[in-house]
Amino acid sequence: MSAHHPNSSPADSSAALRSVEGIARVVRIDGDQAWLEPEQTTSCGHCASSASCGVSAREASGIGTVTSRLQARRFYLDNPEGVSAFHEGDRLVVGVSERALLNAALTAYGLPLMFALVAGGLTQAAYGEDLTTMLGMTGGLALGLIAARINARRLAKRGDLAPRFLRRARPDETCGTV
Amino acid sequence: MKEFALMMIGAALVNNVILARFLGLCSFMGVTTRVDTAAGMGLATTFVITVSSMADWAVQTYLLDAYGLGFLRTVTFILIIASAVQFTEMTIKKVSPSLFQMLGIYLPLITTNCAVLGVALLLVEGKMGFLSATMFAFASSVGYSLVMIIFAGLRERLVLADVPRLFAGPPIAFIVAGMLAMAFMGFSGIATS
Repeated sequence: MSAHHPNSSPADSSAALRSVEGIARVVRIDGDQAWLEPEQTTSCGHCASSASCGVSAREASGIGTVTSRLQARRFYLDNPEGVSAFHEGDRLVVGVSERALLNAALTAYGLPLMFALVAGGLTQAAYGEDLTTMLGMTGGLALGLIAARINARRLAKRGDLAPRFLRRARPDETCGTV
Repeated sequence: MKEFALMMIGAALVNNVILARFLGLCSFMGVTTRVDTAAGMGLATTFVITVSSMADWAVQTYLLDAYGLGFLRTVTFILIIASAVQFTEMTIKKVSPSLFQMLGIYLPLITTNCAVLGVALLLVEGKMGFLSATMFAFASSVGYSLVMIIFAGLRERLVLADVPRLFAGPPIAFIVAGMLAMAFMGFSGIATS
């Protein structure tokens, strides 16, 4: 994913303002939902969505491979107006706001870590033993994951985590050039 | 408390993982074209380094040291790191599929980040207690994230700057990285660890 492209149409600009973009391919149309798969490139660093390096999606299949990772990252666009115009194989530029990405990262990683470190500090202060501290920290981590789940639900309800359709990708456009 | 603070400042700034120990340079150059992706990668790495360090410390203390299996340290730590990444991926997917869609892209990259293994090996050398080891790992990864975000900010500005054609792209990025490393050397006067 990369910065918003300055040449996109004006109608899309407001939605794409300060967004993180990436290219995804429509793999299935399911009623009012279009299921998309992030695009995969063949070499390291060309695309942040690369699940692995140096192997094409066709070459890899099975558990833990590129194909299975891409399938695991399938997502849907819930946009009735737009979905009717999509077809399987269409390449779309989708985006999420920068703030949403940061909020998501803080929720997924920051909250559990904060809970674990605070719990570890308190247990160490109370008992002063490594084994107890370790158990306290693990408990804190579990509590933090529960807190992350609650906050993630709240963010999802507000629609902050949903990717948005920005425009169709140009034929020469890759996830490294968006 | 003062020792903790000094150790954490030392790990984050003075002996910075990237600019002083030169670990994690692949992600340092590869994922720092934008501040938001650098921040996402930094947070993901912070989580994985801290969680894997907790597991590394436990395995080192209660298994490798206890049974004289120190020679298996590196391979064991690699296994723990890979498991920690997998655990994180599975947990985030379970906790929130939406979060996984947004953040899952960074996780596979962390498995091959040498900073994670480097911090784990430094913990063993330090012979620290559990909380100290975890705080050291956390501070090291905060230092890693800090440098990633600063460098990403600089690179975003470099795109807008009028850089001579011969220096445009990676060359000027390397020069800026060198200047950033020299700037961080200034922290060595604050604390030692």
